[in-house]
Amino acid sequence: MKTAVQKTAIYQTKRPDASRWSNKWVQSPLWFMGFGIAVAVCLVVFVLNALFGRVHPSSPWGLGYGIAAAVLFVGVFFYGVKRRTMQVRALGRAWYYLQFHVYGGTLFLLLALMHVGFRVPHGVLTWWLWALSIWVVASGLLGIVLQKWIPTLLSTGVTTEVNYDRIPELTDEIRERAEKLVETSDYAVRDFYRKDVAPVLAAPQFRPIYYLGISGGLKGQTPPFRHLRAMLPTEERAKLNELEDLVGTKLEIDAHYTLQKALRGWLYVHVPVSVVLAALLGFHIFTVLYY
Amino acid sequence: MQRDRFRHKGFFSRLQLPVAKKYVYPSSRNAMFFVGGIGAVLVLGLFSFNAFFQHGALVSNGPLSSNHAAFGGDCSTCHTAFQNVTSDKCSVCHEKFGDEVGVHTFASHYLYRSDDFTRVVPAANEPACFGCHTEHVGRDAPITAVADDNCLQCHGFGSFNTGHPEFDFAADSLLDDGNLKFPHTLHVNQVRDRKDLVDIEQACLYCHNATPDGTGFQPISFDRNCDTCHLTTSDATPWVTVASAEGPGVLTLETLRAQQRPGSLWTYYTNPNEFQDRGGAVRKSPVYHRDPWVLENLRRLRQILYPSTGLADLLRASGDVDPRDVRSLYEEAVATLDTYAEELRSSPEREVQQELAEVEDLLDVVRRRLRDPYAPLDETRFLVSPAARDTSISVEEGRAFERVIDQLTQPCQKCHYVEEATIVRVKADQGNLIRAEFNHGAHIIQTRCLDCHSAIPIRQAAATNTTAEWAEDNAGIQNLPSIAKCQTCHTDGKASNTCVTCHLFHPDKSQHSNLLQYLE
Repeated sequence: MKTAVQKTAIYQTKRPDASRWSNKWVQSPLWFMGFGIAVAVCLVVFVLNALFGRVHPSSPWGLGYGIAAAVLFVGVFFYGVKRRTMQVRALGRAWYYLQFHVYGGTLFLLLALMHVGFRVPHGVLTWWLWALSIWVVASGLLGIVLQKWIPTLLSTGVTTEVNYDRIPELTDEIRERAEKLVETSDYAVRDFYRKDVAPVLAAPQFRPIYYLGISGGLKGQTPPFRHLRAMLPTEERAKLNELEDLVGTKLEIDAHYTLQKALRGWLYVHVPVSVVLAALLGFHIFTVLYY
Repeated sequence: MQRDRFRHKGFFSRLQLPVAKKYVYPSSRNAMFFVGGIGAVLVLGLFSFNAFFQHGALVSNGPLSSNHAAFGGDCSTCHTAFQNVTSDKCSVCHEKFGDEVGVHTFASHYLYRSDDFTRVVPAANEPACFGCHTEHVGRDAPITAVADDNCLQCHGFGSFNTGHPEFDFAADSLLDDGNLKFPHTLHVNQVRDRKDLVDIEQACLYCHNATPDGTGFQPISFDRNCDTCHLTTSDATPWVTVASAEGPGVLTLETLRAQQRPGSLWTYYTNPNEFQDRGGAVRKSPVYHRDPWVLENLRRLRQILYPSTGLADLLRASGDVDPRDVRSLYEEAVATLDTYAEELRSSPEREVQQELAEVEDLLDVVRRRLRDPYAPLDETRFLVSPAARDTSISVEEGRAFERVIDQLTQPCQKCHYVEEATIVRVKADQGNLIRAEFNHGAHIIQTRCLDCHSAIPIRQAAATNTTAEWAEDNAGIQNLPSIAKCQTCHTDGKASNTCVTCHLFHPDKSQHSNLLQYLE
């Protein structure tokens, strides 16, 4: 009997017999295979529908797709509930909710598109439902890509790991240390600090260049320490080296700030729109029953 | 440093940055839900307001078709809360002046050109109008273009090209039932010779005259199509035995005139010189189509042989028709009774005139019933049953009767069949494919008549121009192609092959816009 921690470890352990791609993008082959089968079944059903029935939202087939999509959408929403009730163990493991959220959400979009026959709806409400469904699932998939890509990028490109919420505090700490360091330095270093280094240390800075490459981004932002170093006496060089370390760490923190901002920011294009979509979906069901 | 160690839990990175003194809680994400909630409230408010306090255009699934565009401002014209679109609301306009069954109902669909009331079933659980006519799919959407799967829910055939059953007459190899001794090959060749026609199909059109709208052909009529060549002044009956104590026979014109039976007014207008008497036998020349002397004698002989023929006596030919043609039998019988009544008008007696008034009232009632297209009518009352033959007539006597009937109807039998002392009714119009619509005009511009109507070898006969070797084809009513011929053009990627290409659901879709109905 494996403990919960051991079970979690199974899911997170790399599978030696699987490819790197599979290990990175597919947490559970079982869920992935189930999703593939579900998609295949849906497409086969739709082809049969197109061959032997009418492709329309109000046809029995179309209503079936719509009902299935709505049920999946409700199921997918339970991931948010689970995230807020993590302490309730009886609700099961969040991992399962997450897997259902990802695969069920994608399947929801497929069924929604089947519901409208892969056509753009004519009505305003239905057009918004169609557009928001695509938006929500696309932003969710973007989130998955970011969750897989950015941690890898950070783990290979920078030496410092920081908590996103501590970045302002650590930036202040570095700036204070740097200011204390240059107080006792000669004029050239102070002038260099004022002109070239202080703006870098002023606050956490969002630099999109880090999305293209961390090392390149770091080099591009580093002030020209090398030119000044050659003109300084030995004791001032040591201070300059220490200042360069501080700046290097600050730039790495900026990389974290930039990249982790995307990790958190995508939720703002996913969650609020999902809430609107849920409301519109409920209203759509009401109008179908009402009219 | 000692103080720093006291202030901090530890350090990390090569810069010895301080570890957080306490657990760092992630920043709250409630803002996301707040923004989402605000958005949801706004859009729900907008759509709800539009749905319940405005014209509902935002919640509509799409623009109404042009036919119903005027109702776009008021959803309740068609929609009832939590009841969908009921067919009753459609009927407000479309069945405004409908009959009992309703032009747009399933019942009328079952009766469509069949008049078979046994096919009508209760309307419960049948799809509503909107089930086939999908609205809210655009202003220019053709809502009458019903998708095949609506039909296939009941008629589970599949597509026209793969699942449509073969036409009955072809599948069952039904014999031609035109009831006319007619060789098409002979007639085509003779028409071509006489009219000097090169094109074979012009010979076809010589008799098959198009209807004014060009979709079909007028029924063949003796007076219009046959009279030129058939039953000319030289035609005569053979010598027919006159009825006497020795045996059965026909009645002469004088005898019939003397009897003054109902419907004998013709005897006063018939030229006596048309009859030749040879002591015990009589012949008539010329013989007309529907010759009253022949038909009257035939009716009289039939009454003797089949005494319980009932309403058949009011007909000029047999009552053996398709049930859907039964109305024509009643109309013919009423016309005969009208003739009888007309003859009584000249009688001045008070009693006769009183009875005549009653008869006319009764005929009015019958006419009113006949005007109801869905009133069930019984065709069996016009049939002469072989089993009802008078059993008191011996076999020998029966043969004598049949001999007389055969003599009397000799001129008729050139084209007609005579059975049970009745001239078998000719089917003047084809009775196949009755539930499909076919537009000859739309097809003739793309193909030739004989490309499809090829069961009778008219082209071969025309090529050899042989009139000696011809065979009766009973008017060739079933000289129709099998479904395979239709499928060569009506297939995917070519001509339309949907159900509604050929079939209508509503029997008379012109009724809902018939202005005359509004004026009545």
